[in-house]
Amino acid sequence: MGILDNPVSKERLLGVELPALQAYNSQRDPEYRVSVEPKGGELQLRYRLKPAHNVYELVTVLPDSYPVIAPTTRVLTKLESCPHLLYQQTLCLWKQASRVADSRWDPARFTAVFAIQAAWRWLACYEIWVVEKTWPIPEAR
Amino acid sequence: MAVLDLLGRDSRIDTILLVEPDTYKPHNVHRHYFPAASCGKPKADLAAGWLAERRPDLRVETLVADLCDPACAGRIDEMVSRADIGVCAVDNDRAKLHWDWLMRRHSKPWTLGEVLAGGIGGFVHMFVPGGPCFACVASQLQRETKVDDSPPPDYSAPGHAISEASIPASISSVHAIASLHALSTLALLGDEDGRGWDSTTRLLPLRAVPGIFNRALETVNLPFARLADCLNCSSGKGGGDLLEAFECLNRAAGS
Repeated sequence: MGILDNPVSKERLLGVELPALQAYNSQRDPEYRVSVEPKGGELQLRYRLKPAHNVYELVTVLPDSYPVIAPTTRVLTKLESCPHLLYQQTLCLWKQASRVADSRWDPARFTAVFAIQAAWRWLACYEIWVVEKTWPIPEAR
Repeated sequence: MAVLDLLGRDSRIDTILLVEPDTYKPHNVHRHYFPAASCGKPKADLAAGWLAERRPDLRVETLVADLCDPACAGRIDEMVSRADIGVCAVDNDRAKLHWDWLMRRHSKPWTLGEVLAGGIGGFVHMFVPGGPCFACVASQLQRETKVDDSPPPDYSAPGHAISEASIPASISSVHAIASLHALSTLALLGDEDGRGWDSTTRLLPLRAVPGIFNRALETVNLPFARLADCLNCSSGKGGGDLLEAFECLNRAAGS
């Protein structure tokens, strides 16, 4: 069953996620707006981020069990090998069961826009890491 | 099955509407009520037969279906609309959130029992209309999300034994939490605003575990409140066509 077939996900998308994405887009230049595409039972969000010097292409996937299961975010722009970067340039953004509220995905509090902002923060850290070779924020606990 | 058995024997309950997709498997035998000879039969039918033998006056209506199956959504919705209370014993968070959605949609009180891995304890939650939802409680519990990650069935050998991915709880642990779950359900049924049960969630440690539970059998009451900005229960419902909404967003995004 895909995200579009699930009434819980559908209500969530219509009532929460799409209004949040519209608000996000309305505050951005056209090249940095998010577009959405259903694909294989999931929903892909495609967008660009410019945390500091560079522009990155990203895709965030809302899985069929969203929002129970956290979205995953991949950077399509080639990155250097670095900490907190998983297979296929997937960003390590959440630590489930973390005691830090913003380090674990929480369907009651977060939207896909929060995932995009988390990716922005990750990329900002990455640009610092590229220069200084230290990750500027502590590990999630 | 344990909570169903306990509730089904209570004379105040005259009808049970049961939704259960699974087939009884050999690996179920040591922890369930039915013999090995029942393997291959739908669990819902076995449960209905078990209850009929003990309560011939009890009406049991079964639906062998996945709770989240869109093909059965209408039938499940109709069943929920007829119920006075919901009892949830699913083991993955996706189904729990779906059940929560159904219960809120029909303004029904409901209960949920959860046995922790290894049977070290468990939670019993009571939900009432207007109170905290499952997502509010899960957010405040700060726990790891569990989804149904069971492997797909082996179609070449239906009914074969499969290994369980998680550490199974003992039947004693399952029954201890099921008893608390049944008691909380009966309390809610007799008193639908939950008077006398002053917390949303009860945690019952069944074993002392260093770093987790200091002592066994000391019930912890967790009076969770509804989160003011819960995206699950406080947000707008949002109607309309999803694909049209995507197109509208993409048009505005210029793609």
